[in-house]
Amino acid sequence: MNFDKLVPGSEIAYSGELLVMRDAAQKRIQQFLKAGKEINVDFDGKLVFYAGPAKTPTGRPIGAIGPTTSERMDGYLEMLFQLGVKGTIGKGRRSKQAGRMCQKYKGVYFLTPSGSAAALSLRVKEHRVILFSDLQSEAVRLLRVEKFPLVVAIDIQGNDISRINR
Amino acid sequence: MEERIKDRIKQELVRANTTLNPECEKIVRDYKGLFSDVIQENIDVASETGMPLCQDTGVVEFFCFKGADFHLAGPLERILSRAVKEVYAENPFRLSTVSDPLFERKNRMDNSPPMVHIFEKPGNTLEIRYMLKGGGSENLSRLMMMKPTATPDQIKTSVIHHIKEHGAKACPPLKVGIGIGGASEQALILSKLALTEEMETHHQDKRYRELETSIYKGINELEIGFQGLGDGISAYNVRIIDLPVHIATLPVGISVDCYLCRSGRVSFEL
Repeated sequence: MNFDKLVPGSEIAYSGELLVMRDAAQKRIQQFLKAGKEINVDFDGKLVFYAGPAKTPTGRPIGAIGPTTSERMDGYLEMLFQLGVKGTIGKGRRSKQAGRMCQKYKGVYFLTPSGSAAALSLRVKEHRVILFSDLQSEAVRLLRVEKFPLVVAIDIQGNDISRINR
Repeated sequence: MEERIKDRIKQELVRANTTLNPECEKIVRDYKGLFSDVIQENIDVASETGMPLCQDTGVVEFFCFKGADFHLAGPLERILSRAVKEVYAENPFRLSTVSDPLFERKNRMDNSPPMVHIFEKPGNTLEIRYMLKGGGSENLSRLMMMKPTATPDQIKTSVIHHIKEHGAKACPPLKVGIGIGGASEQALILSKLALTEEMETHHQDKRYRELETSIYKGINELEIGFQGLGDGISAYNVRIIDLPVHIATLPVGISVDCYLCRSGRVSFEL
């Protein structure tokens, strides 16, 4: 899927893969990179979803899952783009620096609805932990989702939905 | 009685995690902006499947008003801690506590400990207020040590500025609790306590009530809206609780709750 023509406020129903990680995993990835350790994850062209799911109920692929606050991850955004990530998904406004990073690396930032984790979990069809399983709900996961609701908050030019709305 | 308290609290914590309270539901069902279909679908999916409304099922905070004649066989905190551990073991919620906080941050795997505040009062009843506090809203907690000569307008400006800068990150529309006075830590506890008050209640003193209304209007004029996307209300309500204070100080604590307002109150009588 090509995200380059999307502008802030564009709504899409995304089907494909999502790489799930948040605070603790990104901190550890940064430490690994600094130490020159190998990270066995394919980041290329992926969307990173800032999330940590609840427990998986019996008979379902995943439990409740929804976005966490993206601004906390701003310090790791350049690292993700340098690893080849195409875009990120979370909740809330980000710093100006995040907008500049999106522009520099032609990356997109999407919002997905917060506090809607039961409904979002129904759109996840496959789920597996791929790295740092000791981090439990903060482990790195790979999801396959269908019709996952996203709205562009920052486009590849660095334009921000909040600046367009106001 | 100990088992009765534990079982009742367990029921309440499951309900608060999976069912939206009627006051919020009415407003959420009326929302028509971006993502409204998923947000409304979520209310039904959670209550039908037992999955939580939000993946962040929180740290559980308790505010207990315990009658001096309400005697228990053991510490109340232990009963509440057992209730939390059992609920988070038995349901598809998230285990969201780690220790230690700075170095290892290793998941405790039982969502303990709850944050328990116990206040004594006369009588033979026990009131327990609870709140499921997610990290996104908790990160907006603030303590401002204002000048003792500060005016209500200055407090209003500071609170509104804080919500303007950060409100969109805490899943609005928000409930806003403000604690004014006391010692610094009490101002924050009061602000949390204000979040556990019933939606339609207000301060008994007209001047504080007017300040509540004025801040409430000011926050809604920011047009933060649902999900921070500009549509719908920005705040459900603003509640102030006050305490006496030192002549040289004016602590103001701010806490917010997200649009799911997962809090409630239960009472027990001996």
